[in-house]
Amino acid sequence: MAQVLDAVKEADPATGAVTPAERTARRKSLLNWIAVHSLGVAAALFFVLPFVFLVLTSLMNGQQALTRDLWPHPFEWSNYQRVFDTDGFLTWWKNTLLYAGLGTVLTVVSSLPVAYALAKFRFRGRHLSLMLVISMMMLPPQVVVIPMYLFWAKQLDLSGTLWPLIIPMAFGDAFSIFLLRQFLLTIPNEYLDAAKVDGCGELRTLLKVVVPMAKPGIAAVALFQFFYAWNDYFGPQIYASENPAAWTLSYGLESFKSAHHTDWNLTMAATVLVMAPVILVFFFAQKAFVEGVTLTGVKG
Amino acid sequence: MTTYTLRAKRRRSALRTAAFMSPWLIGFCVFFAYPLISTVYFSFTSYDGFTAPEFSGLKNWAFVFNDYPLFWPALRNTLWLVVVMVTCRVVFGLGVGLLITRIKTGAGVFRTLFYLPYLAPPVAATLGFVFLLNPGTGPVNSILGELGLPTPGWFTDAAWSKPALTALAVWGVGDLMVIFMAALLDVPKEQYEAAELDGATAFQRFRFVTLPNISPIIMFAVVTGIIQTMQYYTQPFVAGKVASGVMGGSGQQFEPGYPDKSTLTLPQVVYNLGFQRFDYGSACVVALVLFVLAMAFTTLLMRRRSGLIQAGE
Amino acid sequence: MSGNRRKTAAAFAATAALSLLASACTGQSDSGSSDDPSKETTITFWHGWNSPTEVAGIQASVDAFQKAHPNIHVKVVGDMTDDKVNQALRAGGSNAPDVVSSFTTNNVGKFCSSKAFTDLNPFLKKDGIDPDKTFPKAMNEYTQFNGVRCTVPLLGDAYGLYYNKDAFEKAGITRPPRTWSELAEDAKKLTKTKGDSYERLGFMPNYHGYETTTEHYLGAWDPKYFDADGKSNIAKDPSFAAMLTTQKKLVDDLGGYEKLEKYRTSFGDEWGAKHPFHTGQVAMQLDGEWRLGMAEATKPKFEIGVAPMPVADDEADTWGKGYLTGTIAGIAATSKKQNAAWELVKFMTTDTDAVVNFANAIHNVPSTLAALKSPKLKYDPRFKTFLDIAANPKSTTTPPSVNGGAYLTSLQNLGFDIEKGKQKDVKAGLENTAKEIDAAIAQAK
Repeated sequence: MAQVLDAVKEADPATGAVTPAERTARRKSLLNWIAVHSLGVAAALFFVLPFVFLVLTSLMNGQQALTRDLWPHPFEWSNYQRVFDTDGFLTWWKNTLLYAGLGTVLTVVSSLPVAYALAKFRFRGRHLSLMLVISMMMLPPQVVVIPMYLFWAKQLDLSGTLWPLIIPMAFGDAFSIFLLRQFLLTIPNEYLDAAKVDGCGELRTLLKVVVPMAKPGIAAVALFQFFYAWNDYFGPQIYASENPAAWTLSYGLESFKSAHHTDWNLTMAATVLVMAPVILVFFFAQKAFVEGVTLTGVKG
Repeated sequence: MTTYTLRAKRRRSALRTAAFMSPWLIGFCVFFAYPLISTVYFSFTSYDGFTAPEFSGLKNWAFVFNDYPLFWPALRNTLWLVVVMVTCRVVFGLGVGLLITRIKTGAGVFRTLFYLPYLAPPVAATLGFVFLLNPGTGPVNSILGELGLPTPGWFTDAAWSKPALTALAVWGVGDLMVIFMAALLDVPKEQYEAAELDGATAFQRFRFVTLPNISPIIMFAVVTGIIQTMQYYTQPFVAGKVASGVMGGSGQQFEPGYPDKSTLTLPQVVYNLGFQRFDYGSACVVALVLFVLAMAFTTLLMRRRSGLIQAGE
Repeated sequence: MSGNRRKTAAAFAATAALSLLASACTGQSDSGSSDDPSKETTITFWHGWNSPTEVAGIQASVDAFQKAHPNIHVKVVGDMTDDKVNQALRAGGSNAPDVVSSFTTNNVGKFCSSKAFTDLNPFLKKDGIDPDKTFPKAMNEYTQFNGVRCTVPLLGDAYGLYYNKDAFEKAGITRPPRTWSELAEDAKKLTKTKGDSYERLGFMPNYHGYETTTEHYLGAWDPKYFDADGKSNIAKDPSFAAMLTTQKKLVDDLGGYEKLEKYRTSFGDEWGAKHPFHTGQVAMQLDGEWRLGMAEATKPKFEIGVAPMPVADDEADTWGKGYLTGTIAGIAATSKKQNAAWELVKFMTTDTDAVVNFANAIHNVPSTLAALKSPKLKYDPRFKTFLDIAANPKSTTTPPSVNGGAYLTSLQNLGFDIEKGKQKDVKAGLENTAKEIDAAIAQAK
């Protein structure tokens, strides 16, 4: 807004002598400002309106959600209570937190040393390893799902649990390794050399020097991994679908729809409740997240 | 320095490297190499999960390519999605990125708003879109109807289901926006100033300054977009399942692809063969096709964007 | 928690000592187990129901069982689709079910031929139950495959025609249609257009009109899906071409595929209160027996009539028959408590009172001959129509096949192509689809 006022004020002929050329330029920049910001508002509507509709529908009663009304009357706040009272909803929360929380910790702990080695050690096969990491990162999970499923279910009797999804995270995650490596590359070697001069081994250097400096990178990796687990649908569908006690929110949400048929208001309330934590986390950790996205593509 | 100590040092450093790399080395063997070899092996066997796998030569391959009705539609859909969805996402992502670098007032707010949909969990976002685009009662068709515009069947119409999925993908374009934004801010200011002095129009500045500078990023966005399309599973599966209404109650089995195989993708075909038909051998055939395609584009990515891995060498 | 930790430890140990392709070698353990059903034990029972009244109905049945067998505890898990059942039967293990019920008979062939379900004949013989004298004929057939009886019927479904009596009266139609020609005529009379859409449609013929699928329509003909060699018969039996052509003609007569499909998108959900038949958007609906209870529960503004479904014109004398299917129950071959599991299956499927009470609770057709005659059976007089359809010897069902319901899916896909005009040559379409079905069966063998 301030910009508009400035532009208007500057263009005011009473404030002093303004040449016609300057006036045209200012008028042009004002028009430009209006054009850019109207486009911005239009785009914002595109991005935000779906959320608005979802939230509004989640507050309607069942009848109204099936009509063409857009505004709830009356507001049914109890929809949210009813979602929480659904059998299993709290279990899905618990399972999702376990999968996302434990998975994230395991991923960071197991990926960091690998990323460090790939970024800072010189060894034969380093380039090949990196290629393989990238290949694994790009590999659709469905490529290996048949043998993996048979392995977990038939050999280890772990179908109906989330362990087949959590345990692999203790063995490094390709995407996290790659992202951390990109970040660690930006840490100047001088810091590491200094630590070694002080007599630190590689492990001490990693823990005492690299980790504190790499906190933003680690935060980004942790967030990505947390969101990945939170959003994962295919994994729980394959391994946990047969046991409702192991369902996660993403998987449970889809079954919630099937149990509630056309109760779109309840389904939308559940949808909002699944989206909300992700968005809250984002607001607290926006910077780390955006940095992470940038890191994956740009700072090579 | 004697050769002996040099060798000892080398061995120590090799051990150290192995120790640091060990989590991934184990992970690579157990969760990548072993299952990949198994997938190849299973693709040549008949295996239904009950009786031990039996070698069957190329039977599964012939079945998938000649007789299995879902394979080619899935491949055609993937091609459609690669051409239309990836293009739309890149164009839209670039557009929004350009817009956000020009917004002077409230840029932070706009950026957050533009980015948020990318974070919406896929199942939740898909459910939301199926509701928004519900042909009969959804808000989008209500508004289109009020305006006297056509009201398509979206997720229930084979001609509109992929465009509806594209709308969903474009809605979550936040990741590309951020990447393009960073790239746009990296374009040297002097080049713009020089172009302006030469009297270049806004379009010419974009065409001759912006585009050449960010073309590697566009390439990156396109190739990763293609690879993501190969993996595209949750959104089309959930959208098809919810829109078909075949769920619960009747006990009917949902075959992915509703309506009329129009939302099928290769990962869903793997699911259908492996976890609905329980023909593990044929599922592995499709898994391998998926593997070859994904690897081909990954190689392209590593070639074209060698910057991705060269830094720090 | 300790169990989980143990499993985790086991997983680590196993991944460390990984043997290539080890996963390929587990065969099926021998069926039959020696558990003592009079001892204290817990069994897991999976079913597919998910609406509250149905879940309460099945729970009441299980509660009655537990009263009679206090030593057998039953862990009930609902909302389980056939996909999940199939997967769990393969995986076996601690989370797998002992007793399974499934809504569709489509997978019986797969369940029996793969030995996923244990053969129930020894159990039936041991308890002196003769299936031929216990279950109605069609139900008896769809619960076995190639002589292996691996399931028993747990209530049944019969399909008939629902019609809006008020609309019939206003249109001057005196009785429900008995042949497809009459159906088409009445549907046209009952249809009221509005603008480029409908105010009311006489009948929604499109295959996506909920229960109006190819296999349900075919109940009006006399289809033979497979020949003696087990090959698809759909290109040879004229019933199939006749059905596909008749449906397509009705679609065209009522306004065409596009227009009907557009109207269909204004329909509520099949299982919700806004079902188009409840709201009066369509005047006739081909549907299962459960619709009566569901429709009446929404207090519709018209009187509901029930009749057998119309039959093919050249089979007018067979009017009264219908399409039959039902829920089935079986015992997992991986179960280690098969004797206790059998006690539950026996109670739920053969105890007359249990069957009657469950049928009363969820408004389905009882699945034993004794229960069909039981005086305790409570039903709306109109429901008798469905009991008669179920007892009609000309009523048909879809045969089990080694790869489950895949052949029905293939046929349905052909139907979709024909109704929208994508496939114009019905004969060629049937021939191609027959090839597709044969290839899929060959692949599954």
